[in-house]
Amino acid sequence: MLQGLRLQRLPSVQPGIALAMRALAIAIVVLAASIALLVAGEDPIALGAQLVSATFSSTFGMEDFGLLVIPLILTGLSVAVGQQIGIWNIGAEGQFLVGAFAATAVGLFVPGPAWLILPLIIAAGALGGVVWILVPTLARAFVGVNELITTLLLNFVAALLVYYVSTGPWRDRVGMSNSSTPRITVEMPEFWGLIHWGLPIAILMALAAAAILAFSRWGYEVRLSGSNPSAAAYAGIAVRRHIITVMLLSGLIAGVAGAFELAGTVHRLQGGISNNFGYLGIMVAVLARNSCVGVIFTGILMAFILNSGIILQTQGITTSAVLAMTGAILFLTAIGDELAHYRILRAGSTRA
Amino acid sequence: MISIEKLSRRGFLNMGAAAGASLLLPRTGLIGAARAAAPLPAVAEEDAVIGFGHVGPVTDEGWTWAHHQGVLAVQKAFPKLKKVLEVENVPYSADATRIYRQFVSEGANLIFDTSSTGDFLHEVVKRAPDVGFMECDGRTTMDNLGWYYLNHWYPTYVVGVAAGHLSKSGKLGYVASFPVPSVFSGTNAFLMGARSVNPNATLQAVVINSWFDPQAAAQAGTALIDNGCDFLFGIMDEAAYLQVAEKRGVWAAMWNTDIRRYGPNAYVSSIIIDFKDFYVDQVKKRLAGEWTSSENLFAMGKGIDRDAWGEKVPADVAKAADEVRQKIINGWSPFTGEIKDSTGKVRVEAGKTMTDLDLYYWDWSIEGVSGLSA
Repeated sequence: MLQGLRLQRLPSVQPGIALAMRALAIAIVVLAASIALLVAGEDPIALGAQLVSATFSSTFGMEDFGLLVIPLILTGLSVAVGQQIGIWNIGAEGQFLVGAFAATAVGLFVPGPAWLILPLIIAAGALGGVVWILVPTLARAFVGVNELITTLLLNFVAALLVYYVSTGPWRDRVGMSNSSTPRITVEMPEFWGLIHWGLPIAILMALAAAAILAFSRWGYEVRLSGSNPSAAAYAGIAVRRHIITVMLLSGLIAGVAGAFELAGTVHRLQGGISNNFGYLGIMVAVLARNSCVGVIFTGILMAFILNSGIILQTQGITTSAVLAMTGAILFLTAIGDELAHYRILRAGSTRA
Repeated sequence: MISIEKLSRRGFLNMGAAAGASLLLPRTGLIGAARAAAPLPAVAEEDAVIGFGHVGPVTDEGWTWAHHQGVLAVQKAFPKLKKVLEVENVPYSADATRIYRQFVSEGANLIFDTSSTGDFLHEVVKRAPDVGFMECDGRTTMDNLGWYYLNHWYPTYVVGVAAGHLSKSGKLGYVASFPVPSVFSGTNAFLMGARSVNPNATLQAVVINSWFDPQAAAQAGTALIDNGCDFLFGIMDEAAYLQVAEKRGVWAAMWNTDIRRYGPNAYVSSIIIDFKDFYVDQVKKRLAGEWTSSENLFAMGKGIDRDAWGEKVPADVAKAADEVRQKIINGWSPFTGEIKDSTGKVRVEAGKTMTDLDLYYWDWSIEGVSGLSA
C-alpha cells in the first residue's frame, strides 16, 4: 500500500497548511513540556492556568507582557522587511544596541524640552540602526559579501561599545552592583499603565510596512527582486538600489526599537538592554513567515512565551527549560515548514 | 491556582501604588536608623511569602551560594512559611523588574534582591507599598525599601597586608567585575594594605563585565600573571582565577566562601560572607509587624571577615595580618588621610578618616591602581 504513495514537493506552500503546521509545532512542544513537567512532579495544567492568569488578569502581568511585545514586534519586523528581498539581517541585535546608544547620547547630552528631545531620541535611534547596517549593506550590494556574517559579527562590536560607554565614560557615579549610565530625563509618554506609546507605534509601523510592500510600485519591485533577482534585473528593476534601501530600512527599524526600549522601558543604557531582542526577532519573523502583519501576532506569542518563562522561574523552574522550549518551537516550525511543501500522491496520479 | 482574595489584593496594590512615597536619603543618612514610616503590619507565618532574587546560580560556591545559605536558614527558622520564592540568574535588565513584579503578584511580603538591580527593582518597590524590599549593595531608601551590605574593605585591607608580605614583585593583580564602588573600595583597600608593608606595591585591575564568567576570569588571571603579578585578588562569584594561580604558582585571595580546595597551594584567604542571621532577623521583624526599611553595613566579624589562612601562608605573615585585623576591630581605621587618587590629587586630607559611607560610595582609585577608569 505504502509503495503506492509518493511525496511530491510543491514550489510554494498554501498559507493555511503552513499555519496549521505552526500550530501543530507549538502544540507538540506544549505537550512535550507538559509531559516533562508531569515527570518532574509538577502539575502542568495548574501551571498553565497560572501562566494565563498571571499574564492577563493583573495590571502587573499585562504591563510586563505589553512592554515585551514592543521590541519583539520591531525586531521581528526588521528581520521580516529584510526577507522581502531575500536578506537575512542577523544584526538586529547590534542595530538595536547602537540605536539605544545613540538615543542615550541625545538623552544625556542634548538639553531641551521633552517635546523636542523625544523625537530627536527616536531619530537618533533610527540613525544609529542605519549606521550599524551601512557597512554590511554596501558590502552586500557592491561586493556581494554575505550579510549573514557581517551583520552577525557587528552585534558583538555593538555589545562591547555599549559595555564600554556604560561602564566607562558615561557611567553613573552613584553605582550599584552593575554599571549603567545615568537615567535619561525624557521618557516615552505612557499609553496604558506602564506601557508606553511604542506599542501602538510599533503596530502601526508593521501595518505601514505591509501596506507599502503590498500596494506600492516600490513594494512590488522589492518583492520581485527578492523572489527572482535575475528576472527583476532583466525587467529593468534596480535590484541593487532596492537591496540598499531595504537593508537600511531593516536597520532603521531595529534602531528605533532600541530607542523605544531606552526611552520607554529601561531609561538607562547598560549592557543588558538588548535582552537578546535582536536574536528573538529572527524567531518572530520566521514564525510569521516573514509577513509584516504576521510579526504583530508572533511578537505577541513570543512575548507570552518569554513572560511565561519568568513566571515559571518564580515557580522554581529554571530558565534553561524555557529556553529549550522556545528553541524546540523554532526547530519544529522549521521542520513543519518543510513538510508543508510536500503532498502525498498515489502512484500513477497525474495531478501536478 | 488563583483566588479571589489574591485578585482583589492585587487590585488594592495597584490602587495604592500611586501613594507609594519615595524619599531618597542623602548619602549622609544614618546607618541602621529606623525610618519615620510606620512598620509594615504583621503577617502570620502560615500566610507569609518571602522572595529572594539572585544574580547567579545557587551552586556557584560563591556569592549566591552564601545568600542561599541564608535562605535555608530562613526556612529552618520559619518552617511554616507559606512559600519561599527563589529565582536564580536574575539578569540586570528589564527582566529583573518582571521577576520582582511576579514576586509581588505571588503575594510576597518581604523581598530580598541579593545583588542590587537598582531602578529595575525600584520600579516595583514604588508600586507595591505594602511589600518590604531589601536590596543588597543598594543605595536607595524608601518607606518600604532598605539596603544591606558588608564592610568588606576592612578584611580586604587585612588580606592586603598579607599580600604585601607574600608578593615578591610587588605587582598585585585584580579581576574586577564592573567599575562599581565595591570594586573601587576592594582594589583600594587591598593595595593600601599591601603598601603598609611594601610602599612600592602597585595593583593592576582587569574589568570583565560580569560577576560570574569563569572563562573571562581565567583569561584575566592569566593576563595579569603574564604581566608580572604574583598575587591575584578579585571579586568573582566563582573560583576560576584561583585555579589559574594554582597552576602558575602564584598566590591568590578570593571572595565569598572557603574554596581553597580549588587551589590549596595558592590560597591565601577569602573575604567570607554570612547573611544567615540577618535574613532570619529581617523575616522575624516582618512577621512580627516590626519591619521598617533600614540601612545596614555588616561590621567585620559580624557577617564579613577574612577566612582562615591558607596552608602555605607562613605563620609570621598570618600573625602580622591578624594583628592589623585586631587593631581594626578595636576601632582603628586604615582609611585615614592623606590619601591621593590615581592622578596624584589629594582626596582625603591628612588626619581625616573616611566614614563607612564614604567607603561604601568610594568611586575613585588611589595612587598605584591601574585599569579602572578613575
